[in-house]
Amino acid sequence: MRTVRAQLAIQGYRVVATRRDDSNPSYDDRAAVANAYRDAIFISLHVASTGASGTVRAYYDQFSTEPGPAAGIKALAQPTSSLAMWDQAQRPYLDRSHRLADVIQGQLARSFPGSPTLSTGVAVRALRSVLAPAVAVETSSISKTKPDALAGAAGPLSSAIAAGIMALRQSNGVEPR
Amino acid sequence: MPRGLKIVLVVLAVAVVAGLISLQPLRRRIRRLGESHSADEKARHAVLAPPISTPTDVTVKAKIFWAAGPDNVAPVDVDLALSADPVERSRQLLQALITNPPTEEQRTLPADTTLSAFYLATDGTAIADFSDAVASELPSGILSEEMAVNSIARTLESNVPGLRRLKILIHGQEVDTLAGNLDLTGFFDLNSAPASPTAAANTISPR
Repeated sequence: MRTVRAQLAIQGYRVVATRRDDSNPSYDDRAAVANAYRDAIFISLHVASTGASGTVRAYYDQFSTEPGPAAGIKALAQPTSSLAMWDQAQRPYLDRSHRLADVIQGQLARSFPGSPTLSTGVAVRALRSVLAPAVAVETSSISKTKPDALAGAAGPLSSAIAAGIMALRQSNGVEPR
Repeated sequence: MPRGLKIVLVVLAVAVVAGLISLQPLRRRIRRLGESHSADEKARHAVLAPPISTPTDVTVKAKIFWAAGPDNVAPVDVDLALSADPVERSRQLLQALITNPPTEEQRTLPADTTLSAFYLATDGTAIADFSDAVASELPSGILSEEMAVNSIARTLESNVPGLRRLKILIHGQEVDTLAGNLDLTGFFDLNSAPASPTAAANTISPR
């Protein structure tokens, strides 16, 4: 994570981490940090012990049209107000999140052979309450006995994320930094 | 060579030969233990979740979705006695999904998982209530959790007509996530699967 952060900072992006130590903030706390910034992009990095070794996947949130009684904090939403339902904050950003995830996944497929070429829509809890384009990136089958593999993945990972951010900014008519 | 050293060497040599002789039976025993593990698992499940049979059971080729590689689920045709009653039919299918994967590598749900209850609302909403093991023994990760839910959803929608959406409970409660990542607060679409099995395996949409 630290390496990805440093790499993105080198490329000119301001990176705000939702945690800096071994603490484990809740998903709502992390979303609150992201939601405090304007024009932010939220990237949730995950490392898994399953999946095809060396592959990386990008996910965007997939929402329901008939949500259940979701857990968590709920803001009261009025149709005419600018308030958003906390547990559905990501909903207006789904298209942009999907585009961002696709670009990142395309880049990841080049750097990590065997990775899919298109992103996947899944109900990822980490993304649900984020008021910004949001993507989760999961690296598969990283073993604790091979920490170098994770460090080695940081470079291509941050490049893919940077490419996704740049593509999204261009599609929104914003000059890439 | 001193006499004492000779004795030590002889004793060591005898010990090595004895070790080599006992190695083969030991290997056989380890192999047998591995084989009996899955038999033990089935026996444990037979006690915890006895086979479900109903008067309307008919043996059909059911499509059960197990893992097909490290990042995908795919249907396997299985001869299964299934009830005409959709609730019992769903319970039979989910029990088969949990207890009878063709190989351990194809398992998508932890072996200790049991289906505590299954409900079906008149609007086609299925509610599956699993034991804690489905969450506590599943490797945490978006992919593994996605495959677990995908195997449940695709198995139900492929074999039980009329199901519209699925809600997953754990130990009778709505939970925030399955094993830390996949959002379980909503519903999962059933019988609206994309055309290709690959696409089906790649998308879980909560309803």
